[in-house]
Amino acid sequence: MKAQHLVWIRRISQGFFLLLFLFLLIESRLPQDAFVDYSLVFSSEQDLKINYPVRFFFQLDPLVWLSSLVSGHQLIKGFWWALGLLIMTLFLGRIFCGFICPLGTIHHVVGWFKPALKGEHMVRANEKTPSQRVKYFLLITVLVGAVIGLNVAGLMDPISLLFRSLALAVFPAVAGGLQELFEVMAKSDLKVLNLLSHGGEVVAATLFGFGFKAYQTAWFIGLIFLATLFLNRIRPRFWCRVLCPLGALLGLCSRFSILRLEKDQERCTNCRLCTKTCQGAASPMPGQDWESAECLVCFNCFSSCPEHALSFHLSWSSPRLNKGPDMGRRAVLAGLLAGISLPLLGRLDGRVHKVADPRLIRPPGSLPEKDFLTLCQRCGQCMKVCPTNVINPTLTEAGMAGFWTPHLIMTQGYCEYTCTLCGNVCPTGAIREFSVKEKIEGPIKIGSVYIDRGRCLPWSGNGPCIVCEEHCPTSPKAIYFHKEMVIGPDGKRQLVQLPYVDLKTCVGCGICEYKCPVKGLPAIRTISAGESRSLENQILL
Amino acid sequence: MDINNRISRRESLQKLLTISGTAALSAFSGWPLIRLGSVRAEPAPRRFIVEALGQTAGYSVKELTRETFNAAGGMTRFVSKGDVVAIKPNISWARRPDLAATTNPLVLEGVIELCYEAGAKKVRIVDNTINDARRCFAITGAGMVAKNTNADLVFPRSSLMKQMKINGHRLDVWPVFVPLVEADKLINLPVAKHHGLTTLTLGIKNWIGGVGGRRHALHQDIHQSIVDLAQFFKPTVTLIDAIRIMIKHGPSGGSPSDVAVKNTLILSDDPVAADALATGLFGYSPEDIGFIRLGKKWGLGTDDLQQLHRKKVVM
Repeated sequence: MKAQHLVWIRRISQGFFLLLFLFLLIESRLPQDAFVDYSLVFSSEQDLKINYPVRFFFQLDPLVWLSSLVSGHQLIKGFWWALGLLIMTLFLGRIFCGFICPLGTIHHVVGWFKPALKGEHMVRANEKTPSQRVKYFLLITVLVGAVIGLNVAGLMDPISLLFRSLALAVFPAVAGGLQELFEVMAKSDLKVLNLLSHGGEVVAATLFGFGFKAYQTAWFIGLIFLATLFLNRIRPRFWCRVLCPLGALLGLCSRFSILRLEKDQERCTNCRLCTKTCQGAASPMPGQDWESAECLVCFNCFSSCPEHALSFHLSWSSPRLNKGPDMGRRAVLAGLLAGISLPLLGRLDGRVHKVADPRLIRPPGSLPEKDFLTLCQRCGQCMKVCPTNVINPTLTEAGMAGFWTPHLIMTQGYCEYTCTLCGNVCPTGAIREFSVKEKIEGPIKIGSVYIDRGRCLPWSGNGPCIVCEEHCPTSPKAIYFHKEMVIGPDGKRQLVQLPYVDLKTCVGCGICEYKCPVKGLPAIRTISAGESRSLENQILL
Repeated sequence: MDINNRISRRESLQKLLTISGTAALSAFSGWPLIRLGSVRAEPAPRRFIVEALGQTAGYSVKELTRETFNAAGGMTRFVSKGDVVAIKPNISWARRPDLAATTNPLVLEGVIELCYEAGAKKVRIVDNTINDARRCFAITGAGMVAKNTNADLVFPRSSLMKQMKINGHRLDVWPVFVPLVEADKLINLPVAKHHGLTTLTLGIKNWIGGVGGRRHALHQDIHQSIVDLAQFFKPTVTLIDAIRIMIKHGPSGGSPSDVAVKNTLILSDDPVAADALATGLFGYSPEDIGFIRLGKKWGLGTDDLQQLHRKKVVM
């Protein structure tokens, strides 16, 4: 096959998988079909199902699989995709990086479009440097940390990173900007602008949904994403070469790859076009040792060589191994040390062993905190799919170890009573799959609520209000009234209904807090105590 | 789900011209204008109220809806050819239809079909839901109805809430769900329920679902707020769905034990009268309900059913 054909096959494959990734990301939402056939006589609530395999890329990711295996001792659903990918890597090298990885594709495009470096500078930028050992350090940190009980793979894993960045930062930012524009247009007196606004809103909603979304620390997530994109101006695919722990893992496996770069020293004229186009800084030039662990299998060198001095071959017969990955002893040792330290230091805030944070309200179906931290990839799937925008990344709520794991902010949304989507999409089962029945009839409880009598309108004598009780979805209601006399601001006694909470029936969904007319710091608030996932964090006997 | 067909300035001018042109022409032929004039001379026509009861087991709710409107002179009396009709059901809660927290989808479907038969150009289902709108549409059956009848299901989005002058005794300016105001005809289609604060929620309280903004603060002067909104919206007709009613733990309920089956529909062009009649289903009298007393006081309607043209339908 001609080299040019291979490059085009690669481009088509990259485009296909990037579009597939975006499609699955957009479809990670409440099914849009509101027109479902709902018979009038059914007796139990229907479980929500997403019609597309939105977890596919996480199932394909060997780092997600390995880290949850060694950390949570769980074989995640659909892990054979990852297993298949590892086996493919044994034969073909880092073909995932060159052909499939959507984050790699984005970096590839950004580096290729108006490159910052020209000529000699680009050649030098594409020469192998010791900094490429950093990714092995990160891989070892992640895996050793996972063995000891803290899974931080998702912070650096390219699939998690891309999903988190797009779903929590890029998409909501674009959607928010458009929404503001539409609202300005809708307020206009010009009929044309009104119509454009309504039309545009309906079209945009198919991608972004209606309304504004907010995610705690989203600006930081977006900033990191922009920074990794900017790094491409220093060296093309900087992320893939230097930082990506999944790339490191696949690099280790490519030692045995039978897809090899054959170099013909005779033909080479030292034009260095191969190095200039090399995406992985894998020393493709004849005379240098080809670094199979760094090669992203983009076929650029093969296609750019004017003298046909380079070619890729499948060498079944040759018994020799490829050049080993250049990990560096220091990277290995530092990785070991960091991997051991992270989980041990991460537990010193006491979230796991001492006392739970009252604000750390995990989504329904979440595993106990210790197990949760061994599995959660911090990918943002549950946050993207949540229809009320209540699931947010943590900042300090879960301690250092749990940075960016999901938790519920009830002033931003509430847990919809019959929704089970977060458990439906979690790629590793940190939020296990659960049914509506488990949520309504137990045993699942998210937390519990308490009333702040000083702020509550009837309790403080500031007038009647029943909003919390009215919204409470449980039956019997977890919020109930006693009619009592209170003294109002004018000194007169008035009869009002005072709300009380029944901790036994409260499931902690937080709709009372979300709808409470006392804004900012509502008069009824949700805390994690009473969550069914913990034996310790309880109130009642 | 879009509302792109609002009547434009040019269109309304054209319509005005057509009407005035017709009037000028008919001045020669003589008859319609004279009739128009004679109507104006008469005192305001007596308002009506229809109470329909489905007694036989397995009666059709949609048929009962049709009979109810027939007793009032048919849907053509309220909806004209080419009208855009907005229907305001109560689909605020993501609850199954049999829990009676929301308007019965069969009644909703029946009304929409009647509107289209009467020549409506477009029928829209408009409610600013409390739970997530998509869940409400799906679970209450409103989505299914929209699909069956080809009615628009308007998603309550922020750009459709516009600050409007309510001019009430309590509410001055408040964000209003625009499609309700822009429709030619407005049909109020509430479900009769118990309510923790107002004792009952019936027809005129349904307008809380027609506004946006900080509407949970309305509970602090709920009865006056309700009457203010009811005076602002002025529906063409009110149909109270009391096929199933929620007798306790309202307005959201959640258990079949909160529900009583009454197989009743109440149709009236007097919003207060419809509510007054519905109180009887719960064993209350109109004076027990604050917003009915206030509605009467401010001239929204009457709770004296003897003043109305009263009809009864039994199936």
